[in-house]
Amino acid sequence: MRIPRLRRFAPPLGMTIRSRFRVPGSRVILLAIAVAGCAKDAGRAGASNALLIVGYDREPDTMNRYATHILEDIQSCVVEGLVTSDEKMNVVPVLAAEVPTIQNGGVVLRPDGGMDVTWKLRPGVKWHDGKPHTSADVKFTVDAINKGDWKPESTDGFDRIASVDTPDSLTAVVHYKEVYAPYAMQFFRGTLPRHLLQGRDIDKANDYNRNPLGTGPYRIAEWKTGEYVLLEKVKDYWRGPEYPKIDRILFRFLPNTTTRINQLKSGEVQLVALVPWDKVRELRALPSVRLNQVLGNGYEHVTLNEKHFPPFKDLRVRQALAHAIDRELLVRTILDSLVTTVDGPIQPLSWAYEPNVKRYAFDTAASNRLLDEAGWKRGPDGIRAKDGQPLAFTLITQAGFAIRENVAQALQRQFRDVGVNASVKLIDGTTISTVWFSGDFDAMLHWWQSGADPEITLFFASDRSPPAGRNINYFADDSLTRVLYASDRTVDQAERAELLRAAQRRVAELVPELVLYNTAKIDAVPASLRNFNGNPTNAGPFWNVYEWEIGQAGSSR
Amino acid sequence: MSFAARRLAQAVPLLLIISLLVFGLIHAAPGGPLSLYLDNPNVRPEDIARLRRAMGLDRPLGTQYVSWLAAFVRGDWGYSYADGRPVTERMIERVPATLQLVGVSTLLAVIVSVVVGVGAALRRGVDRAASVGSVAGLSIPVFWLGLVLQLLFSNTLGWLPSSGRASFAGGGLADRLAHLVLPVAVLAVAHAAGWSRYLRGSVRLALAQPFTNAARARGVTESRIVLRHALRHALLPFATVVLLDASIMASGAVVTESVFAWPGIGSLFTEALAKRDYTVLMAFLMCASVAVVTLSFLADVAVHALDPRTRGEP
Repeated sequence: MRIPRLRRFAPPLGMTIRSRFRVPGSRVILLAIAVAGCAKDAGRAGASNALLIVGYDREPDTMNRYATHILEDIQSCVVEGLVTSDEKMNVVPVLAAEVPTIQNGGVVLRPDGGMDVTWKLRPGVKWHDGKPHTSADVKFTVDAINKGDWKPESTDGFDRIASVDTPDSLTAVVHYKEVYAPYAMQFFRGTLPRHLLQGRDIDKANDYNRNPLGTGPYRIAEWKTGEYVLLEKVKDYWRGPEYPKIDRILFRFLPNTTTRINQLKSGEVQLVALVPWDKVRELRALPSVRLNQVLGNGYEHVTLNEKHFPPFKDLRVRQALAHAIDRELLVRTILDSLVTTVDGPIQPLSWAYEPNVKRYAFDTAASNRLLDEAGWKRGPDGIRAKDGQPLAFTLITQAGFAIRENVAQALQRQFRDVGVNASVKLIDGTTISTVWFSGDFDAMLHWWQSGADPEITLFFASDRSPPAGRNINYFADDSLTRVLYASDRTVDQAERAELLRAAQRRVAELVPELVLYNTAKIDAVPASLRNFNGNPTNAGPFWNVYEWEIGQAGSSR
Repeated sequence: MSFAARRLAQAVPLLLIISLLVFGLIHAAPGGPLSLYLDNPNVRPEDIARLRRAMGLDRPLGTQYVSWLAAFVRGDWGYSYADGRPVTERMIERVPATLQLVGVSTLLAVIVSVVVGVGAALRRGVDRAASVGSVAGLSIPVFWLGLVLQLLFSNTLGWLPSSGRASFAGGGLADRLAHLVLPVAVLAVAHAAGWSRYLRGSVRLALAQPFTNAARARGVTESRIVLRHALRHALLPFATVVLLDASIMASGAVVTESVFAWPGIGSLFTEALAKRDYTVLMAFLMCASVAVVTLSFLADVAVHALDPRTRGEP
């Protein structure tokens, strides 16, 4: 309540107010209560092939897949890529007839150090306006992004393309200036329609950015700002008249996590992607909901910033911290065994995964021994110190992420047992990016979420600390850096995997960061939904939305 | 210079100072419109530099302020950093939802406050209950009350939709009203708790005034004294409080809107804050400041016009 800014007490002069308060407000309330009963089942009819209602955590910024900086779930139902990545992280063709490789002749290394990638497009694909999807659209997309007069989120890879040739309407030959190993995902975000956008300022092309022309199974029927996006299926989808199976998909924007989960429980929404781990337990009992779990392509870990906290430069200190953590306990208790521990930055689903790396079992004796050897002696308060400096650092993590806050506290306790004093500091989600980018922190509990390509150069190469990359461990190892750059220049998948396996073994030996567990992705979907497979990467679970179908059995609640 | 003109002349520099402070504060807050981009490992430093330039964030802060101010007073509120649409468009499309929510809940809160406030002024028993209720209403955090009501009426009983402004399936007026009930109840409780106490105080004050004793002496019935004399007396200051509070609510019932996914100005603000959408934040905060300054200006002028005693100063 606020105190009115009246200077003196007002005398009874407000006689004209009399009749204004005779508004029949009570009738409004009665009416509202009366209609409540009628509205009871509004929007709770259960999932059907006529309408699927998704509770979505945020409203998209733009529907332009190249400009958005959040997940592209809604966009990817409308605008298809030349490829996407499936639930096993395989790169699968969508608008491309096949994924070009060295073996099928689609990738040719040139003697001048560059490479040519030939994309064969799927014939018979049309934009939603009936115009054919052609190689000219591929060329236009590259040119538009490289012209740089608008705001695509990232130009990664595109800036290494010298030119694109279009020998025929279904063939685009992309000439790279240098070897670029992740080429297969280059057009993951699709193409821009040349006939619609040529000669226009794409940032200001709100007709496209709000309702993009695509080739996908759905188009945007309505975007009600702040409330929802409604997708409806297109006629004549290129996969055939039987697709997609679901007529309409409604994405309701519910930024508050508790509200989103409440709506799922009440049946007002039927699908929630990426259920927070601490909410899984309360959803298990719901008969209408199936929890679909896949391994994630991310890993929770503690970054050790060697530049900001120099004791981390000592390998023995890093190994001791790794031995001090009881990861099994964290997973069993805080995480309810929803995730599995992992030992390195490349995840088990990747073709480049190396399982045989040095592991650091929970072993406080080993941890104490390593710290003793490194010269950190316990003081009277139990905290280790060397040359008068205590082994004490600040562990930052994101505020409002309940699981992480708990894990951070458990780590604090486990470090304390070996004489290391970590203090936890919670930082809000927007601010924390700026903090780690500036390097102004000791240690951070967080994850990286990557696309299907296993490149890790930007996290570990010695010259890739911000702003040039994401090596926020400020960790440097020459042999590792050499192997990583060699892997970036290797297109053959088997050869590249060899190099990346060597890199993972090296990373495990040197412990630049403390790896905890894989970030499992859990989606809550209607129990009757078929062909929902989930997705470990930022391609998102909607990658195969065209074949989703509500089954007959169990479709009624 | 007339009183109104003087007060108006004071408002302009006040708003300028507010704009400078607000601009400085939101730019001083850590993070910026680009910090969310950093989370994507494929966004490289070249991309960040390019986007900063494209958004004009690489210019000195003073330059940014002056160009923002020059455009703002001309009515050009710029483009949202988040989705590239004009800020005015983003704000205007949210206004109806907020006005609906705030209008209905203000109305309800006023009715409840008058009933409870007058009752409490007259009956000790009512007063005790109202006092407990008010303390509870003022102390219970709005987001908590919202979530509990959702759990009870939506999940457990299944009577009401838990959030949003309407079921997408349509359902017309009944559906819209059903969606209004919970957020309106939460907002109304929060405000009625304070307002009813205020009104009770004013009514009691009025009942202690000589003119009510005079009325009693003339044999006027007690209920008539309360309704025709004391309540009337108390309503002017009460209306001022309501007007000021409602104007602040009109700039978005920030928490309520976000708990109930109500597509109003308040949820736009929450979203803009998380994304550090500077242009939207500035527009929102300036509108809120103008609303508060204008309403307190109007209140002052009204009181000045109505109450001869405030015209004392030359």
